[in-house]
Amino acid sequence: MPEIRSPGDGANREPPRVGVYVCHCGTNIAGTVDVKAVTEYAAKLPGVVVSRDYKYMCSDPGQALIQQDISEHNVNRVVVASCSPLLHEPTFRRVLSRAGINSFFLQMVNIREHVSWVHLDKQAATEKTKDLVRAAVRRVSLHKPLQKRRVPINPNVLVVGGGIAGIHAALTLADAGKQVYLVEREPTIGGHMAKFDKTFPTLDCAACILTPKMTSVGSHPHITLWTYSEIVKVEGYVGNYKVQVKRKPRYIHEDLCIGCQECITACVYKEGKTPDQFNLGLSKRKPVYLPFPQAVPQKVVIDPETCIQFKSGKCKKTCVEACGERQAIDFTQTEKFEEIEVGTIILATGFKTFDASRHPYYGYGRYPNVYTSLEVERLINAAGPTGGEVVLRDGTRPKSVGIIHCVGSRDANTNRWCSKVCCMYSLKLAHLIKERTGAEVYNFYIDMRTPGKGYEEFYDRLLDEGVHFVRGRVAEVSDWAVHPSEEGKLVIRAEDTLAAFVRRIPVDMVVLSVGLEPQADVQEVRRLFNISCSTEGWFLERHPKLAPVSTFTEGVYIAGACQGPKDIPDSVAQAGAAAAEALALIDAQFVELEPYTAFISEEECSGCKSCIPLCPYQAISFVEDKKKAAINEVLCKGCGTCVAACPSGSIQQNFFEDDEIFEEIEGVLAYA
Amino acid sequence: MGAFGTHTMWTEVGMELKRTVKFEADRDPEFARWISHTVGGERIRQCLQCGLCSGSCPLSLYMDYTPRRLMHLSREGFKEEVLSSSSIWLCTACYACMVECPKKINVTHLMYALKQRAIEEGFYPKRFPIPVMAQQFSRMVRRSGRITESWLVVRVFLRSAILRLLGMSKLGLRLFLAGRMNVRKERIERRQEIVALLDSVAATRKELAL
Repeated sequence: MPEIRSPGDGANREPPRVGVYVCHCGTNIAGTVDVKAVTEYAAKLPGVVVSRDYKYMCSDPGQALIQQDISEHNVNRVVVASCSPLLHEPTFRRVLSRAGINSFFLQMVNIREHVSWVHLDKQAATEKTKDLVRAAVRRVSLHKPLQKRRVPINPNVLVVGGGIAGIHAALTLADAGKQVYLVEREPTIGGHMAKFDKTFPTLDCAACILTPKMTSVGSHPHITLWTYSEIVKVEGYVGNYKVQVKRKPRYIHEDLCIGCQECITACVYKEGKTPDQFNLGLSKRKPVYLPFPQAVPQKVVIDPETCIQFKSGKCKKTCVEACGERQAIDFTQTEKFEEIEVGTIILATGFKTFDASRHPYYGYGRYPNVYTSLEVERLINAAGPTGGEVVLRDGTRPKSVGIIHCVGSRDANTNRWCSKVCCMYSLKLAHLIKERTGAEVYNFYIDMRTPGKGYEEFYDRLLDEGVHFVRGRVAEVSDWAVHPSEEGKLVIRAEDTLAAFVRRIPVDMVVLSVGLEPQADVQEVRRLFNISCSTEGWFLERHPKLAPVSTFTEGVYIAGACQGPKDIPDSVAQAGAAAAEALALIDAQFVELEPYTAFISEEECSGCKSCIPLCPYQAISFVEDKKKAAINEVLCKGCGTCVAACPSGSIQQNFFEDDEIFEEIEGVLAYA
Repeated sequence: MGAFGTHTMWTEVGMELKRTVKFEADRDPEFARWISHTVGGERIRQCLQCGLCSGSCPLSLYMDYTPRRLMHLSREGFKEEVLSSSSIWLCTACYACMVECPKKINVTHLMYALKQRAIEEGFYPKRFPIPVMAQQFSRMVRRSGRITESWLVVRVFLRSAILRLLGMSKLGLRLFLAGRMNVRKERIERRQEIVALLDSVAATRKELAL
């Protein structure tokens, strides 16, 4: 690896010859700042040999100006006063490189976001620009030549979460020949999609399109699938992450279990006694179970909370008997930890649905025939608790069903956001319920949001099918009858805002279209992977438009509903994008890191060790024989924490050395 | 009607409170089915309730229910509200609503269907001139094969606003003297064919609505 600093190379070897370039940015800057006056002012500053303004400095002719001055006027330091360095610092650094000088001999002054866009007074804005340009001219003279660091990229990828997004990302990467570790918390992959019967707007069978992908994951030579597992530790940096995975005991040897399920039949429990999580408690399962028929991997799980062997140790162990020679059951299994090394990470941790009991006026948990939409998905599913029959708790078919939209969405009392998928899945449920039961179906909505390919047409179809649409947010679901027709029914009260009167509609079944929320442990996961969340708890993308799957941590990407409510097509598209971003990084084989690392002046370091525990990246170690601290440049991310904390001031940071910063401050304050 | 009927307790101070909440029992599902099966009603369920019809209607100015609300109330089966609405009688069939409707709903045709149904079920103010005019018009066509304007006007006024007829007599006289008003009843030949035609239309309508 090349040295970041080139000691003695041009530090202050030759006198600085500064070129100042003031950009108009069309009228963005020139409309508020007198760029001519700034240019003339800069020309007179000490050390400045050339000062120019130009309409668009970032354009090819603008760049050529700088390059030409470097070769013709021997300019060796460049100040560009234009937009934020976030946008064009790489552009101008390349200009310096092309012209043959170190690209860190550049200082940008942000006179657009920091001046013209935030000030109205033209004269004051011009004076402020002069101050900032003066500061940059003084600072840039002290710049030292630096080199970017190159670190190799480990081609292995970690995908966290085995829903449709994680599955798609893992398959894309594995098909490209990369080694993928897919880690899923539940005993099976499939996520929420595995719970659905049909998908909107095409009414494709969810299992028919999902299970082939699940099986591919299970059998792919390049995918290591760890279900019932969680990430507990992440160390390292882009291209070189070390990850620790906790594998919870399922009390089954995955390599020995063949998924025959004979143990389930043989279990001493003749009937299931525990609410089945996969069916949202609408059915019961035994202590040994397979989450659902197409689960991947096809390996049973034993729940130690309910298994008699675990509770009393006195079970007949008929399951072990049934398993026979395969000997796949192991009551002594304990949790295991695996260490893996990967270069990139894709987070596809998904969402959870809104807890409908938080909305007390809709009676969820109080009236048995008030269901959540996810529960109804299970009722409709042929593999679900009722074999696909939409029935009430007493087993009878509902004659009328009310579907309430926006439960836990667009509501300042719960969640402010639109969950994006509920309008469409409510339409889908309305169609399926009407098809299966012939019931009269009412949809209560605030706005019907159906943007998407074929979505509006699906809404049209539902309108045609004779489903009722009542535009109004439901105020209350109650069993209080005030009219003979309401006896024994659940009454939905809402204003029909289109008819402009309040309606009371008695139904047999209420479906609450619950919104999407961030996972409960999103903050822990965020900290684990060192990424950010929006205030709502969705993982934050680097840029909402231009970097939608990247995060602020290099090499960590996000896909699917963990980034925000998203339907299946969008989740898959995002998963593909995240896989492509990871592949781009892997194919580049190395990554360039900014050289803004900290370094220790050995003579001054007293060996107090105060910096060591402060480093968030474990980049500082203590060299015992010298009694001095030492910084590993590869691990250092340039956060500057140690620089500020060092009591003796013996830690400095490249590009932010004390003299550079003081010179800049003095430059700002030195009124001309 | 108890708690949800008409309150009379405030009548002595001149305020009567009426129930405005609608029960499902107030709906007539048969009416909702009829409107979507009648000629012109094929797409009424697709109505998005965007309100373009109301916005483009030159008469919505005076309507108790705008065309948009009428579409929604009809497909939901609120028959009484729809048929006793003044809006259906105000429609002049200018077709502005239909020209621009994003769902190509035949709003104007539906207005006609609603007028007809309102007449059939007696849901209109007996002396309101527009339904009277419609009835007299069709009766005259059935009998004579065409209308005689002078007699139609007289009949309409006789059955709606008899006193206004007196006020209009001067104008009538001047029109008569100018030769603009013919008192001789006009009629066509083969009138039985018109009757057969109208009967056939009525039969088809009925069949479609079943």
